[in-house]
Amino acid sequence: MIKDGDFIAIFNSIHRVMEAERLLKDQGLKILLIPAPRSLAADCGLAIRYAEDVRPQVEAVLSEAGLLPRDLYRKNGDNFEKLGEEI
Amino acid sequence: MSKLDVRGMACPLPVVQVKRALEAAQGEELHVLLDDGAPRENVKRFAQGRGYQVLEEKLEDGFAFTITGVGVATAPREAAPAAAAGPTVMLIGTDRMGDGAEELGRLLMKNFIITLLDLNDLPDRIFFVNSGVLLAAEGSEVIEALEELGNRGVEVLSCGICLDFYKKKEHLAAGGVTNMFTIAESMLKARSVVRL
Repeated sequence: MIKDGDFIAIFNSIHRVMEAERLLKDQGLKILLIPAPRSLAADCGLAIRYAEDVRPQVEAVLSEAGLLPRDLYRKNGDNFEKLGEEI
Repeated sequence: MSKLDVRGMACPLPVVQVKRALEAAQGEELHVLLDDGAPRENVKRFAQGRGYQVLEEKLEDGFAFTITGVGVATAPREAAPAAAAGPTVMLIGTDRMGDGAEELGRLLMKNFIITLLDLNDLPDRIFFVNSGVLLAAEGSEVIEALEELGNRGVEVLSCGICLDFYKKKEHLAAGGVTNMFTIAESMLKARSVVRL
């Protein structure tokens, strides 16, 4: 479900992640709400997956709505590289 | 030798009575008087199915059975051997998981299907029925996950009638179409059925 280079945004509440999903979909952005990978063990267990090509738009929408994720990771081989501080 | 008269009893009492008598007889011969028709057929099928020998004698008023042998009536069989080795079947009859908020239910169902990909023991077959078929149709967010399950050997099948009902017949996006015969047969042969 998560390809190399995909971004995984982890949220700290079910309501925030659902709201983020709704907003991004309304914008026609190609994202997918998925269970958070076990190794990233988030409280609510949900994450939004998106690819490099929509990253600027996704993060702009989230930022504007005050819905930035708690943590952001990028899939890199078998690992998830934390990018949290970049946005 | 024990004797039992189940004439005039309605189904399923004759079988129940014979079962109890056989358990009590502990290998002793059992004589049973019973009516022709369903009681005769059912008791015979039951006793023979459990490994007993049944000797029939027609009477003026019904039948007399002499039931002999050790049989396995004293303890119901655990699971049929065929079933023990059968497949694991998952029946998904809704596009939502659990009762409550619809939005949450849809999210949980999606989560559930994607989470299957992280498990080692996958079902052999997943049947989608009723609104469950929406999960396998265009517009569903778990198409990618269902395709991946398919690649891992899980048979993903949607009920044809249901696709038709929801006008998704031409829009199936993952897995194949099946019918109730296959669904029913597969469930009955399954080692376990997980129903959502």
